Amino acid sequence: MKKIRWGTLVAYIVLAIFAIITVFPFVYMILGGLMSFRETTTIPPTLIPKHFEWSNYAKVFAQAPFARYFLNTFITASVTTIVSLFNALLGAFAMVNLKFKGKGVVQVVLLSLLMVPGEAIIFTNYNTIARIGLLNTYIGLVLPFLTSIFYMYYLQSYFGSISQTIYKAAMIDGASDWEYIWRILVPMSKGGLFTVALLSFISGWNSFLWPLLVTNEDSMRLLNNGLTSFASDAGSETQLQLAAATLTVLPILILYFIFRKRIIRGVVRNDLKG
Amino acid sequence: MRSNQKKAWLFLAPTIIFVTFFSIYPILRAFVMSFQSGPLINLNWTGFSNYQYIFSDPEFWRAIRNTILYALISVPVALAISIMLAWFIFSKVKHKSFFETTFFMPYVTSTIAIGIVFRYIFNGEYGMLNFLLRALHLPAPNWIDDPSMSLTTIIIFGVWTSLAFNIVILMGALRNIDPNYYTIADMYGATGTERFWRITMPQLVPTIAFLLTMNIIAAFKIYTSVYALFNGQAGVGNSATTAVFYIYNKFQIVGTPGVAMAATVILFLIIMFVTFLQRKMMKKIGGR
Repeated sequence: MKKIRWGTLVAYIVLAIFAIITVFPFVYMILGGLMSFRETTTIPPTLIPKHFEWSNYAKVFAQAPFARYFLNTFITASVTTIVSLFNALLGAFAMVNLKFKGKGVVQVVLLSLLMVPGEAIIFTNYNTIARIGLLNTYIGLVLPFLTSIFYMYYLQSYFGSISQTIYKAAMIDGASDWEYIWRILVPMSKGGLFTVALLSFISGWNSFLWPLLVTNEDSMRLLNNGLTSFASDAGSETQLQLAAATLTVLPILILYFIFRKRIIRGVVRNDLKG
Repeated sequence: MRSNQKKAWLFLAPTIIFVTFFSIYPILRAFVMSFQSGPLINLNWTGFSNYQYIFSDPEFWRAIRNTILYALISVPVALAISIMLAWFIFSKVKHKSFFETTFFMPYVTSTIAIGIVFRYIFNGEYGMLNFLLRALHLPAPNWIDDPSMSLTTIIIFGVWTSLAFNIVILMGALRNIDPNYYTIADMYGATGTERFWRITMPQLVPTIAFLLTMNIIAAFKIYTSVYALFNGQAGVGNSATTAVFYIYNKFQIVGTPGVAMAATVILFLIIMFVTFLQRKMMKKIGGR
């Protein structure tokens, strides 16, 4: 008995240490964003500010158009999510429920494209967007991401678990494909679609390299790019940088805590089946 | 076989159109551009000169060396820690979902924002990390401003960020192990260590192989975390430059897209090779 208890104790201690290492940067970010400048640079370091400097946030909003960054990021992430989910839904439906010549070829091509690293095509995509004259526009920000083979593949495996007889029965009852998709397929796979939407929105919110390439006007920047430029402009004002970082992270963190089970399950399912 | 429902193409049309323009075309274009020189508006054919250029460019080799070192160190370290933590959560602890939720946080949060926080934690003078190290009478190096430390710094940050995904995937795999194995092992009086090495580890092999590949691929693409840690630079004096940094630099700043694309093709081939190795490995293991 005693042996087992020791093992459990060690496990708890190790887990606690790593949990602290994981959470500490978040805590430090939030607290640091409320410190005075002096408190962020004292030795020994301050952990809890004497009184919370909420004015840091006012300063952040005054020094850089963070409200605009928020709006841009929200628009970009939402549009990407909605359109790519819509496209993935239609595509996955066709791949699962319809029979047609060339289906095998389509599947093989899409699966091999899934292995292509985004960084290998992002620069030539930039080239395309620049040539059409879409730099510094919302369309330029979202265009290459309006379809996601990854999520289509995910939905395919999700729809595959819905029995084909339901589709056949719907057809016999005289439903069109379009009706089947919206009246039966979507309601039946609400959970899966919602999870995909969440994951897509989060990755859209956190995108960095693409918006860095296609935007250089301050008014079109996304949060992460605004944050890096703010971090270099605000230079030594540590507390403002931490406040700005908090602004960027907090919305997603809240979303995460609300839907944590769904998000974790979605990620696990995603990647083991891939 | 019995029917050919052409309307399927209608449903697939948006996907196929976007994929053609923004996935297939850019790959082909990157290959073509890697054989061309000059500015974007006026490219002309120069054969293999870009490849000759990058292979004789010490900056390129430094980028490749850093990227490979980063992958070879951070990936196994992160994986080993993840296996330990996942096993502890799975087998020893009551509040499984609490720990799972906690450890997964870095996965959903912006690398840029957290990287900025780490820049302060790593700060040589007033950073939290060095404060702790000094308190323990350990050497407190200048993590950010010392070029010889920059690779170490990004490796530590890399391990911190990649634990999240690993742990959650490993937890999923641990839950899928047939509990009967453990029941039988207990009946024969197996110890905790035996249970781990004889049952858990062999069952985890496909998952570990999968994570190894995913992590190595991700490691080869490292860019954002370096950018955040060193405030847009690749470390002091480019000491922590990576493959994607090199590509970005050649493409956007130096203005030699041909050279950038040649480097892209090389990176692409490395990643394809890793994926190919994984396929082979998985077949050998025979998991799926």
